[in-house]
Amino acid sequence: MSHSDRVRDRYADIALARKVRAVVLAIGVVVTTAAFYYALTSVGFFAANIPRYLPNFLGALGDFFPFLTLSFPYVDPAGFLEYWTFVEERNLIWGGFGGDTPLLGEAGITLAMGFAGTVMGFPLALLFGVLGSGRVTPFPFNFLFRGIMSSIRAIPALVWALIFIPLGGIGPVTATLAIATDTIGNLGRLFTDELEEIEDGPIEAMETTGANKPQTITFGMLSQVTTPFIAWTLYIFEINVRIAVSLGIIGGGGLGQVLSVQQGLFAFTNMMATILVILVLIISVEVVSQRVRSTLRADEETQGLVSLLLGFPQRMAESLLK
Amino acid sequence: MSRITVDGLTKRFGDTVALDDVSFEIPGDEFVVVLGISGSGKSTLLRCLNGLETPTAGTVRIDDAPVTGPRDDIAMIFQQHNIIGQMTAYSNALTGSLNRNSFVRSLFQLQDADDKLRALDALETVGLLAEAQQRARQMSGGQQQRVGIARALVQDPSVLLADEPVASLDPGSAQQVMGYLRTAARDRGLAAIISLHQVNLARKFGERFIGLRDGQKVFDGYRDAFDMDVIDEIYGDIDTDELFAPEGSSGDAGSAGGSAESGPTGDATEAAPDGGSRR
Repeated sequence: MSHSDRVRDRYADIALARKVRAVVLAIGVVVTTAAFYYALTSVGFFAANIPRYLPNFLGALGDFFPFLTLSFPYVDPAGFLEYWTFVEERNLIWGGFGGDTPLLGEAGITLAMGFAGTVMGFPLALLFGVLGSGRVTPFPFNFLFRGIMSSIRAIPALVWALIFIPLGGIGPVTATLAIATDTIGNLGRLFTDELEEIEDGPIEAMETTGANKPQTITFGMLSQVTTPFIAWTLYIFEINVRIAVSLGIIGGGGLGQVLSVQQGLFAFTNMMATILVILVLIISVEVVSQRVRSTLRADEETQGLVSLLLGFPQRMAESLLK
Repeated sequence: MSRITVDGLTKRFGDTVALDDVSFEIPGDEFVVVLGISGSGKSTLLRCLNGLETPTAGTVRIDDAPVTGPRDDIAMIFQQHNIIGQMTAYSNALTGSLNRNSFVRSLFQLQDADDKLRALDALETVGLLAEAQQRARQMSGGQQQRVGIARALVQDPSVLLADEPVASLDPGSAQQVMGYLRTAARDRGLAAIISLHQVNLARKFGERFIGLRDGQKVFDGYRDAFDMDVIDEIYGDIDTDELFAPEGSSGDAGSAGGSAESGPTGDATEAAPDGGSRR
């Protein structure tokens, strides 16, 4: 079978292109492998002697999971009791009425830090988020506000807590301030992004009614995004509860601090009990927040907060059965 | 009643000439329909009239004050409604009173009872009083547009502008909305300038007609002068021959009457009975 010159030329072109691609790929693999090796050396991975410490870790695992046994049936219910004893003794989830600890115990402190931080950060997030939008503040000046929010985000919440220690001491107050600051950067950025996507129509419509600038922003712009703004705030609240746990580890109080203390005592069973409480707390916050957000998005405007809460068990059961 | 004077209005977007030396004058309470194909300059004309666009040359004056930006005595109704979906019909209508209320009062809906009653009045005018507390997003296109009209009426303007208010509606809703528009304008003695591309609706509701083609005014006259020749002039021969002159007779001799260039030379009295009798 004979082929035209054009076909042969194109065949040669394709073959060459494939060879070039293979060489580039090979170089990429070599470079990445070298970088990976260098990174492991940099963190001292080969000096760490992991094999030697492996038995230690396996021993710790036994403490982490006291309900596991080596003989049949491999599960000892008494182990769960060890978790529960610690949860109860240290008021991890229940502080009782009128005591020194809040109603929901240490979990309540963590939750409170996340919640209070979100509420404290919200007004400034809204202000900076709106002022950071190019439609509200003319081009070069809106970057002033975006810049402030970027700077806040560039510093992790953990570092903000270190910065605020002279102000609030080592404790939940400082952690809450750090979370509030972090919220300004993150939530404000989400607000600004959301405002970039709104329609011009309602803004123009408000201008033609003779509305002033604040009225145009409120009715023409913000009224278009109330639902996404609420949804983003709930999302940041979820994240803030997680941050509250990690701030506890450096002394911010709540579950994180309990975890850090038990780690220091090498009380691995108590540590795991705390971790399980953290897991339940975070997942509960997420489930509630997700439910509220999906209700908002689903446009079920007529459903009030009361029916939302009352209907929660039923919806939960329904979605579990699906 | 406010007199609208447009003098030598020209608007260029880069090299494109959207409006080319357009002049006309509207005394008080006429119901004016602006006709033209897409891109003929209808929207630009209306946006210049209410100050959303700044003309390249020429002026727009209401009474003797030049229009330089959006102002509260000119209300605008948009093709895409531009009402706020998250708010109720009532709250939307109430946004027409923003110019009379401070930021804080409007934010917490603390307007005077006067303004609130005016909003409900306007909703009654457009037949939506029963739906006042319904969320705008859940309404039909025709209802949303009527909310837009209500908002414009609450503004208590002297001039009502509408840019293709029925372009995205079905024929039934379109007629209904046009009917509400004309009733509202007539009852309140407003000058109304409505851009349309449907000739049948224009003929049914219009009192005076301004035709635009390639940014130039090609017709300005009342009902008696608005005939087949004029429609050809505005829309070009191609489609209208088929649509409106099925006999195939040439458009030249087909219809007698006023020429395309006849201005608004005081035929209002003749046109009024015809224009006013229909709904």
